[in-house]
Amino acid sequence: MIIETFRQAIQNVWSNKLRTFLTMLGIIIGVMAVIVIVGLGNGMTQSMRDSFSSLGTNTLNIQVWGYGSRTASVDDLYKIVDQNRDLIQAISPEIDFSGTGSLKIGTNTYRWVTINGVDEHYTAMRNFQIAQGRGLQYMDIKDNKQVCIIGDYINRVAFGGNGLGQTLKIGANKFRIVGVLAAKVSDPDMQEGSDDNSVFLPYSTVMRLSNQSTVSNYTAVMADESRANEAKAVVENGLLALMGSENSYYVYSASEWLEEMNKMINMVIVVLTGIASISLLVGGIGIMNIMLVSVTERTREIGIRKALGAKERTILAQFVVEAATTSALGGVLGIALGYIVSMAANKLLPILAGGTDITVSPSFNSIAVAFGISVGIGVLFGYLPARRAARLNPIEALRYD
Amino acid sequence: MSALIEFDEVCKYYQMGDTTVKAADHITMKIEKGEFVAIVGQSGSGKSTCMNIIGCLDVPTAGTYRLNGKDVGKMSRNELAAIRNEMLGFIFQQYNLLPRLNLMENVEVPLVYAGVPRAERHARAREVLDQVGLGDKLKNKPNQLSGGQQQRVSIARALVRNPAVILADEPTGALDSHTGREVLGMLQQLHDEGHTVVLITHDNSIAVQADRIIRLEDGQVVYDGDSHAPEAIVQPTLLPEEPGKEGKA
Repeated sequence: MIIETFRQAIQNVWSNKLRTFLTMLGIIIGVMAVIVIVGLGNGMTQSMRDSFSSLGTNTLNIQVWGYGSRTASVDDLYKIVDQNRDLIQAISPEIDFSGTGSLKIGTNTYRWVTINGVDEHYTAMRNFQIAQGRGLQYMDIKDNKQVCIIGDYINRVAFGGNGLGQTLKIGANKFRIVGVLAAKVSDPDMQEGSDDNSVFLPYSTVMRLSNQSTVSNYTAVMADESRANEAKAVVENGLLALMGSENSYYVYSASEWLEEMNKMINMVIVVLTGIASISLLVGGIGIMNIMLVSVTERTREIGIRKALGAKERTILAQFVVEAATTSALGGVLGIALGYIVSMAANKLLPILAGGTDITVSPSFNSIAVAFGISVGIGVLFGYLPARRAARLNPIEALRYD
Repeated sequence: MSALIEFDEVCKYYQMGDTTVKAADHITMKIEKGEFVAIVGQSGSGKSTCMNIIGCLDVPTAGTYRLNGKDVGKMSRNELAAIRNEMLGFIFQQYNLLPRLNLMENVEVPLVYAGVPRAERHARAREVLDQVGLGDKLKNKPNQLSGGQQQRVSIARALVRNPAVILADEPTGALDSHTGREVLGMLQQLHDEGHTVVLITHDNSIAVQADRIIRLEDGQVVYDGDSHAPEAIVQPTLLPEEPGKEGKA
C-alpha cells in the first residue's frame, strides 16, 4: 500500500512535468541559496583560520607602555610566566629593529626583512632549529653583544649558504652572524614572506642601539591553546598588579580574535541563511497552493476512490506523499544546482575578487539539512490541502464536474 | 436469517434554507441475497438518496439500514469505507474510471485499498477483465475505449472484490441503446451467476429487466413487487418537478 502510494505520487508528479517544475522552483532556489551561502561561510571561516594560524594562534602578543613612572621589566614578565607554566610555555621580548635602518649585506640592501630583538629562548619557543653555529645565549644578552642569527632565506640569497661567521649591517651597526636557522618553509619560492626571511638580535643590544629603557613588546606561547582566555587573563592580572592601570598594557591573542571573527562570520551566515530560507517558505506556500488546485481538480477522483473504499487517511497520505515528493525532488535539484554554483564560484571568485583564497565548500551537513527541510516543507504545506481532500464528502465529490 | 439489505423506516432529511427536504421518508424494504431489483423513480423521487444509503456513501437521518445484518448508521467514516470496499461494487452512469491509470490499474484500485498483495492483484484484475471481454486491453487507458467498453471496465472493477451487492446507478444512461442492452445483459448474467444486483434508474424500459421493481415517489415507496405486473410501470405522475429537491436524480 505504501509502495503503491509512492508509485501513484510519482506518476501524478510526472504527468504534470511543467507544473511540478514551476512549483518546485521556489524550493530549488531556496535550497541552492542555503547551500551556497553555508558553503561560502565555511570557505570564509577556513580562509580566516588559515591566515590567523600563520600568525600563530597559540601566541599571545603583549604590549607594555608603563603608567607614569610605573612599568614592568623583562624580569617581571618572566616571573609572571614562571608562576603560570601550566598556561604559558615561554615568553620573550620581541622588539622590532627594522625601523632603525635597512639591512645591508655587502652592497645590497634587503627590505621586508623581519629584524627583531629577542632573548635566548626565542628560537626554541618559535620552533626554529639551529642549522649551523649556535643560537643566541644569555651572555649575548647580558653583554649587549652585536651578534645575530639569520634565517635560511637570508643565508641562501645574500650569502649563498655561507653566512656563518660573516657580518651584516643594519643601519650603521655591524653584527656578526653566529648562527643560521633551518628553513621552516620547505618551498624556496615561498620563503620570502615567511619566518625564514628574518634576522634575530639580542634584545638588550636593540634597546641600547635604539635608546629604549624598557621593553614594550613581548611574544608568549601558550601551553594550551584552548585555554587562551585564561592565559591572557593571568598576564593581564600580573601587569595590572604591577602598574595599577588597565591602560598601561595590552594583551592580544590571535585565537581570541579568530574566535571573535568566527562568531561574526557565523552571525552573517545565519542572517543570510535566514534570508535564503524565506525562499524555502515561499516555495512551501507555492506547493500548498498547487496542491489545493490539485485537490479541486481531482475532486471527482477523490470521490471515486472513496466509493471504492479509500479511507480518509489513505487519501491524506496520497496527497501528503505527493507534496513531499514534489518538494523532495525540488530539494535534490536545488542541491545539485547549489553544488554546481559552488564549483563555478570557486572558479570565478579568484578572477573577480583578485587573488582571494576564499572557497565555497558545501558541507555534507548543509546538504543533508537542506534535503530534510525541503521534505519537511512538503509535508507541512501539503498537509492542509491533503486534509481538505481527505474530508471531502464522497457524494458531493462524485457529483463534482 | 435477515435480509441482505434491510431498510427500516429509513429517513433522510436535508435542510435547504428554511425548508426541510424529505429525500427519503420512512422507507421500509428488504432485498434478499441473489435478487435483481430495480429502484425506479423520477428526478427528485429519492432514488439517488436511496442508492447513497445502500452504497454506504451516506447514513440515514432516522431509521435503520442493515447491510448483511449490520447497522450501517452507527458506523464511523472509516468503517463505512471498509464496508464499501468489501461489500459493494459500484457501477456509475459516467463509468468513473481514473483517467491516468490503465485498465488493469483501474480495476486493481479496490484491491489496493483492501491490502491485497501485488501478484494476487494482477491475477485477479486480469481474471475479471477477461470475464468482461477486455483481457486484451490491460494496458490501455480508459480514454482509448468506447463508452460501452469503459462501462465494462467499471463492471469488472465492481466485481473484483466479489462484493455482496452490485449497485448500478443508471448504468446505461450514457450509452446508446445497443450497448445499453449489452450492459444490461451483463448485469442479468451476473444475477444468473448468483450476484445481488440493485439497479437504479428513471427508465421503466430498463427497470423491467429486473425481477422486482421498487418505485419511489417523493421519498416514499409507492410500489414494491414483480416487475411484470402492470402497476409496476404505471405512468409517472405528470406533476411539475419540484426544483432543488435533490441535486441529481
